[in-house]
Amino acid sequence: MKKLIFALGIIFVTSSINQVVAQCNTDQYIEACIPKLQEGFTFLKSYNIDGAGGSKNKVEYSYVFTKGATYQILICNGGQGTDGIVLTLYDSNRKQVASTKYEGSTLSAIAFPCQVTGIYYITYTFENSTNYCGGSVLGFKR
Amino acid sequence: MKNTLIGFIGIIFLFACDSKKKPSADEISGVLDSVKIEEPAISEEVISDIIQQIPSPLEISSLLKEAETKYDKSHLNDPENISNYNSNFKKALALGVYGTDLGYTNIYGQNQDALFYLNAIKSLADDLSIGQFFDIGTIKRLATNSKNLDSLLLITTKNFNSINAYLQSQKRSNLSVLLLSGGWLEALYIVSQVSEKNPNNQQLKETIGEQKIIMDNVALLLSFYTDNDPNIKDLAEHFSQLQAEFNKIEIKTVYREPTYEVVDGMLVVKDNSSSEIIMTDENIDSIRKMVYEIRNKIIN
Repeated sequence: MKKLIFALGIIFVTSSINQVVAQCNTDQYIEACIPKLQEGFTFLKSYNIDGAGGSKNKVEYSYVFTKGATYQILICNGGQGTDGIVLTLYDSNRKQVASTKYEGSTLSAIAFPCQVTGIYYITYTFENSTNYCGGSVLGFKR
Repeated sequence: MKNTLIGFIGIIFLFACDSKKKPSADEISGVLDSVKIEEPAISEEVISDIIQQIPSPLEISSLLKEAETKYDKSHLNDPENISNYNSNFKKALALGVYGTDLGYTNIYGQNQDALFYLNAIKSLADDLSIGQFFDIGTIKRLATNSKNLDSLLLITTKNFNSINAYLQSQKRSNLSVLLLSGGWLEALYIVSQVSEKNPNNQQLKETIGEQKIIMDNVALLLSFYTDNDPNIKDLAEHFSQLQAEFNKIEIKTVYREPTYEVVDGMLVVKDNSSSEIIMTDENIDSIRKMVYEIRNKIIN
């Protein structure tokens, strides 16, 4: 019986530690990201990119982009690069519009001068990410 | 020993039920509130997904400024009207309306007017127990100097985003939906007014026509609550009539592959697709008329 209690205790402690390790504080990345919007862009939305320590392979948001406006989406995390976070933009028919994985490199931002008003899907995926954690912001200008 | 084991397993299960965190008192009370009003059949997650799609009313205000139309306070809802709003339903709608008005004053750098709207917003937000998201001292300080426009826009946008996220986390999405509906309708009202005064400005008419896409989302969101809330049911019926007018408009899209270039580490997309809005002046007039009617009901 003692052994059983000990085993259950180990499981409980391990799962608690895993939760702490996997915690992703996206707020700090978002706060760092907002000032990086280029001059003239107005902040609209922030997005949490929390891959739950690797258990999620995709995080998706959507937004109605308006014809005539230019949108800028930035990815931020602790380092200089994107830590394997790839942003892909799809139109309302789920046709790919753009991806930050472009010609062999992974970029950290997209600028999109919209010509068709509609719902766009902003998708974040992870490729060889270490933290599966980041923040992203959306801004616009006319 | 048996009792100890059962207790220990009980604790493990208690934690296992919520792997993220323990529920706070606020969350518990939010859940209890939602029980009282009966949750919609659709999941909160789906509602959240639709809510986040609705564009910020700031985009329309920005367009009006870019089109060099003059600032006109008469288009806005008088902050003095706040005494008309005596239920959570009316307060949430009015909060959305005033939020759009605040954005309009901010975009035009009319900081004195912005202060009146801030006071009205803070008062409504307090009544709805979401006043904690407005650091009114900081906002007022920013509003006293027109050089702080960017910071003011940023902080107020963040505040409204936080309110929406909070309401959804507290399972009070019905209020979030009302806030967004009021805000969207006010933006549509303002652009309708400006368009009526500038009948030759085709871009403004197109902006009204394009709202068809958002109209569908707003009508869908309201429809989730019509069974449980008679006020929302009444509002949804009006929006449904407005949607019928929007349905007379057709948006045609021609898709073409985008092209790209990299500038300073950023992927710059060239969107080669195009769209055409097929509508008549009569369509726009009918939409305007209906928007004025609904807006009048909301603010009075």
